[in-house]
Amino acid sequence: MLTAVADDSEQLPASAGRRVVVTGLGVISSVGVGVAEFLSGLRAGRSGAKPITGFPTDGYDHAIACEVVDFDPARWMAHLDPAELGRASQFSVAAAGMALEDAGLTAPDLLGRHGLISIGTTNGETRELDRLVEQEVTGGPERMDPAIARRVNAGRLSAAVARELGLTDVEAVTIPTACAAGNYAIGNAFDAIRAGEAAFAVCGGADALCRKTIAGFYRLGAMAPDRCQPFDKNRQGMLAGEGAGVMLLEDLASARARGARIYAEIIGFALNCDADHPVAPNQDSVARCMELALHNAGVKPDQVDFISAHGTATRANDVVEARAIRQVFGPAPPRTVSVKSMLGHALGAASALAAIGCALAITEGFIPPTINHVETDPECEIDCVPNTAIEASPRIVQNNALAFGGNNAVLILSKFEEHA
Amino acid sequence: MKPAARTVISGWSAISPFGLVGADFAAGLRDGQRHGEGPRHVPDFEVREVLGRKGTRSLDRQTALAVATAGQLLAGQDGGRIDGVGPESGLVLGTVTASALSMMDFARDTFTQDKPYHVDPARFPNTVLNCAAARCAIWHELRGPNTTVSAGRASGLAALNYARRLRRSGRADVILCGAVEELSQARSWLESGAEPLGEGCAMVLVEPLGRPSAHGRAELAEVLALEFGLHSEPSGVRSALGACLRRAFATADETPDRVWAVASSGGPDPFGKGEDAAIADVIGDRAPVRLRSSELVGDTNGASAAFALVAVVAKAAETPQARGHTAVVTSVDRDGVVGCALLRLGSHTAADVT
Repeated sequence: MLTAVADDSEQLPASAGRRVVVTGLGVISSVGVGVAEFLSGLRAGRSGAKPITGFPTDGYDHAIACEVVDFDPARWMAHLDPAELGRASQFSVAAAGMALEDAGLTAPDLLGRHGLISIGTTNGETRELDRLVEQEVTGGPERMDPAIARRVNAGRLSAAVARELGLTDVEAVTIPTACAAGNYAIGNAFDAIRAGEAAFAVCGGADALCRKTIAGFYRLGAMAPDRCQPFDKNRQGMLAGEGAGVMLLEDLASARARGARIYAEIIGFALNCDADHPVAPNQDSVARCMELALHNAGVKPDQVDFISAHGTATRANDVVEARAIRQVFGPAPPRTVSVKSMLGHALGAASALAAIGCALAITEGFIPPTINHVETDPECEIDCVPNTAIEASPRIVQNNALAFGGNNAVLILSKFEEHA
Repeated sequence: MKPAARTVISGWSAISPFGLVGADFAAGLRDGQRHGEGPRHVPDFEVREVLGRKGTRSLDRQTALAVATAGQLLAGQDGGRIDGVGPESGLVLGTVTASALSMMDFARDTFTQDKPYHVDPARFPNTVLNCAAARCAIWHELRGPNTTVSAGRASGLAALNYARRLRRSGRADVILCGAVEELSQARSWLESGAEPLGEGCAMVLVEPLGRPSAHGRAELAEVLALEFGLHSEPSGVRSALGACLRRAFATADETPDRVWAVASSGGPDPFGKGEDAAIADVIGDRAPVRLRSSELVGDTNGASAAFALVAVVAKAAETPQARGHTAVVTSVDRDGVVGCALLRLGSHTAADVT
């Protein structure tokens, strides 16, 4: 069903506005920091899973997560003091700097052009709240450090990027729409550039592992003991992850004018809400979001070369998502992979990292694998590219994201071709 | 610009320290007096009394404030839903974080219970920042775009800008848009300012120019411009916000001469003083009406700009001479974001819609 999004507005098909291209990538992930490391991790099917080191995990029977290790925030900050930022803001600032460098730009190049900083997150600086609560529990509320309290505003994830880059003529907004936030933030940037509201955008997602995430998902029985097995018959749940994925987007004319390398083009986006259940996804609503995104991109389901699934490896998500995919794509859907098998669920960063994976797959000519795969769940019935990446030439790729609260967001990326 | 690409505000609602309904806020606005000292709670806001017992067991105060405010915005005079706001409508909600109380209570259990995972699973979603927006969608059956935005004190303006962008992109026709902030012991640990803390939720209904009249609603204001920038220290607020204001007037092809009201969101601290200075630089003392959301409802942090917006819209709606004039809403966040909105007040005639 493809009912109109709006009954009497004039919907702007993606083709009607400016073309939006990806010209820079920044990655902080559990399989590596930087685009090159991330790419080699995706190609090799590397796992970021390891015992949690960021905080004590006494009392858990298992505490494996996809943590970022060996991250040096100072390497990416010339102006801000890393000590003034929470871990999630450190991630977003560093990944943004990386994306700019990767795009062959320096901050002064962006002065005089109106831009957008759009960063998604699930938890914002909840890890800082953990520290405050620990201080309160051990010493009373008067022991809470006001310097840490100052970091709690989720808006800092995007404002800090602008401050580090010295950009003043920008809209800096954080989109904390839970585990679909990365796609939300990129979609926001897509709309802004397409409509000419921004000349460039620094967009993506960032999240830092925190106590609440581990406790909450463990309590729900959604946490796997040691590995993440999306779409597997014997999957045991998700693994929490962290990191940041940030893209530099610009309109095609500006990318061309400066001779930029173009990884991919963003050609479509959609978002909707199940309005159904606080945590369980709704198949029809997820399917509708995919249909809206394909419609927005002006492509038919059979043109999609692979799907990067939300694919958390929980019992509920994978069956619902796979069925929604079959509902839209029919009995022979495109290959459907979950990079969460390697990266864990990096929450607000997850769909941004996956979108970067899609852009790299298009540029480098491969489809990333779903690792830890033994036997596909017959209830899922998809080709998840088990365990080993395959060489391919994907042209159009769909990136799914679902979130608590029934917030769905789907992004469509394409190989850049001069005459689209 | 075509009518469908232009965005108007056609309704508003507020749950505030003045009371549980918008009329209380409007009365407080007329009165102009702040009552009492100390934190400014929404009086008599008991979740189960306001929203009923069904489905409210795990609802926290922040979420309930948003759900109830959205409910008032959607409520028609006959007790049903207002016309033309169907299930494909969107909702955009600004917030600094989720409920500080919910987040800290949940985290505390990980330290104090026998096992770190002995937490209440029903309250896990309350600790995620999109909780209030998502629960509004479930409660009121809103299946269109549902987005939470965060830009500190400027979250209400960021939400309005995001909603306008959704509209222009054709992703939703009608959008409920606002911001929420609850008051709790936990929040008072995190924030301390020159003004007493306040709480509440303020929302507006946005839709295309020309659409409200088809559904029996007035066009209370048109959103002419929204501009944002960054400051890096309190002394930079004045120039950063001043630049936004000048861009807003230029974009809308308007001059400060026609400004009827200015509503700011800051308090008497260096950031609020910078906000005042920028307004003085660009608009001077031309505007007959000057509103400050923190003087009205206390420091509502993430909701402060949304309260400033609703204050001008509500004030203009009962002031005939405001019609056709403009209003400015400003916000400054200590972490860097500055922003402003420029509105044209009052209904449009057919001749305006070209």
